Amino acid sequence: MSDAPAHGPAAPAMPDDTLISVRGLKKYFPIHAGWNRRHVGDVKAIDGVTLDIKKGETFGLVGESGSGKSTVARLMLRAYPVTDGQILFRRADNSIVDISHMRESELRAMRREMQMIFQDPYSSLNPRMTLLELIGEPLVIHGVGTQAEIRDRVAELLSVVGLRPEYLQRYPHAFSGGQRQRIGIARALALNPSFIAADEAVSALDVSVAAQNINLLQDLQEKFGLTYLFITHDLGMVEHISDRIGVMYLGRLVETAPTDDIFTKPLHPYTEALMAAVPQPDPKGNRARKRVPLKGEIANAANPPSGCTFHPRCPYAEAKCSTDEPELRMVTPNRQVRCHFAEKLDLIGVRQ
Amino acid sequence: MANTSLLENRLIELDNVQVHFPMREGVVKAVNGVSYHVNRGEVLGVVGESGSGKSITARSIMRLLPRNAREAGGTIRFSPRPEEQIELSALGRNSRAIRKVRGNHIGMIFQEPMTALSPVHTIGTQITRTIQLHMQMDRAAARKRAAELLAKVHMPRPEQLLDAYPHQLSGGMRQRAMIALAISCNPALLIADEPTTALDVTTEAQILTLLKELQSELGMAIVFITHNFGVVADIADRVSVMYLGRIVETATVDDIFYAPKHPYTRALLRSIPRLGVDQGRRLPTIPGMVPDPFSVPQGCPFNPRCEHARRGLCDVDMPEAHSFANGQISRCHFAEDFLKEAVNV
Repeated sequence: MSDAPAHGPAAPAMPDDTLISVRGLKKYFPIHAGWNRRHVGDVKAIDGVTLDIKKGETFGLVGESGSGKSTVARLMLRAYPVTDGQILFRRADNSIVDISHMRESELRAMRREMQMIFQDPYSSLNPRMTLLELIGEPLVIHGVGTQAEIRDRVAELLSVVGLRPEYLQRYPHAFSGGQRQRIGIARALALNPSFIAADEAVSALDVSVAAQNINLLQDLQEKFGLTYLFITHDLGMVEHISDRIGVMYLGRLVETAPTDDIFTKPLHPYTEALMAAVPQPDPKGNRARKRVPLKGEIANAANPPSGCTFHPRCPYAEAKCSTDEPELRMVTPNRQVRCHFAEKLDLIGVRQ
Repeated sequence: MANTSLLENRLIELDNVQVHFPMREGVVKAVNGVSYHVNRGEVLGVVGESGSGKSITARSIMRLLPRNAREAGGTIRFSPRPEEQIELSALGRNSRAIRKVRGNHIGMIFQEPMTALSPVHTIGTQITRTIQLHMQMDRAAARKRAAELLAKVHMPRPEQLLDAYPHQLSGGMRQRAMIALAISCNPALLIADEPTTALDVTTEAQILTLLKELQSELGMAIVFITHNFGVVADIADRVSVMYLGRIVETATVDDIFYAPKHPYTRALLRSIPRLGVDQGRRLPTIPGMVPDPFSVPQGCPFNPRCEHARRGLCDVDMPEAHSFANGQISRCHFAEDFLKEAVNV
């Protein structure tokens, strides 16, 4: 590859089955204060996230609000500039590029291959554009096809997401929340991306509609070989759709594991607490479980606690936790955890 | 006042409440004949998808309907004390009588505390004024009670946080402040409209625990409105399921979850992804979507989406409410059939 050295001394490498690899990703938002707007500190929104997503898999990212899960997705698509770290992406021609510090002009071509679906189907669609304009916009921007071709492609995309092709000339207001979400999905699919980040894509929808759209996302994944980064705070949903899961707390991954393993036996106390907090549609089970809610709230990212950032809320914390910062370490070949006592603790999952 | 009296343990009873919205395109029957009751000290969960009318029903109890709403009928009777009975449906939205009920006998909490609390007054001022107004206390006593209330909802440093403005608090803390405000005058009924929907699961668990604790301590009843079946299973004693302005099923929480007798309840329960349960690759869904309010289907409103619907019956006749011996009520022509069937949802 002749153009690869532009981004570093050697062509970046990653395993053959990996589509996107994030290494040591950091995003600091500066805090300015005083009359001359002096730089007095940073909000460490993302502080060293490393994760690999394999081709064709769904990687679920969970955590409380403020944990940085959306910021990770936005950085991976380079919607924000990256403070530090690498984002390696395998392009359609199998070349590997580091997009973390790419220039806008180069990124443009990349954006064909990575797309995003947003949470709010009301604010993410321009109300003054018809479906043809909305879904055709990425095609126009990337100069794909003539007007007639774009029209055909949009009609095809509409039927792919289960909307009638006749709706081309309608405006978003004529559609329900679930249908608008499908319009957003069609728009994301327009340029045949290989990677889609879905940020709380079904969180705003009603139960029955959410289920329909989740099934649609899974069908599309099968049909087009898509790779998803699926961000949600709904653990039931993430368990259903994901192959692997990453749990975030205060800008860092605290645990990554295959879905089955993490729900059977979590290794990080935060993962356990998160699972225990979910009220189940099972009144007898809830009464039997006697949940003890996690104390306190997520810490301030501008002033994180010393040592393990979870220690003030952790029921298992010991003296070491408030002084020594745990590393994210491999516990078994496919599981990583950021806890000093992962092997010692016997944590309870939600599956038997 | 009311010509028939409520049962001793009845706190509130809604009978055939109807709220319509006249629009250019036609009349939206947002609440179309809703009847439910809440006993003293009981938690009634009201579940339904958006647009089912669950919030509008609750607002009609408080007489806080939007101005373009038309009340087309029904009675709401409320009995704050066994010897006292008020017909809320006869009160005007700004009448002296309803203002005595609001805050005093019925408290309300909302999904987004930031819009419910005043942004320009401190938490303390808002709670203190409410107490002064309803409980005839002087300012110092009211402030002392406000601090006690903040302690009761487990706010850290209650004395200091009295002087905090809502924007200085986190989402969970704001919700606690709103709960403190709502319970400030020991209401007999608390209406909670999606109070945990905007919160993280960990904070949601804290708020649910707090509400259960307050409920048993103060003996108040709660009408808990939500679309989340997990939350309802956790907090409710009885549950009403709403669809398109009607209650389709009411039962004890166990019967709703383990022996539902309406196809809509059954379908909804099946379509939730459950934690720790492998449901196969595809989630079962309800076909179609909630019809738009101008074209509510003939007969049973759920019939076009229902797997049990029978042509000639369900799309013609509106089913009557069918009562079972255990108190369960289902609005379905085939409610009896679900009795024999072993339910596996």
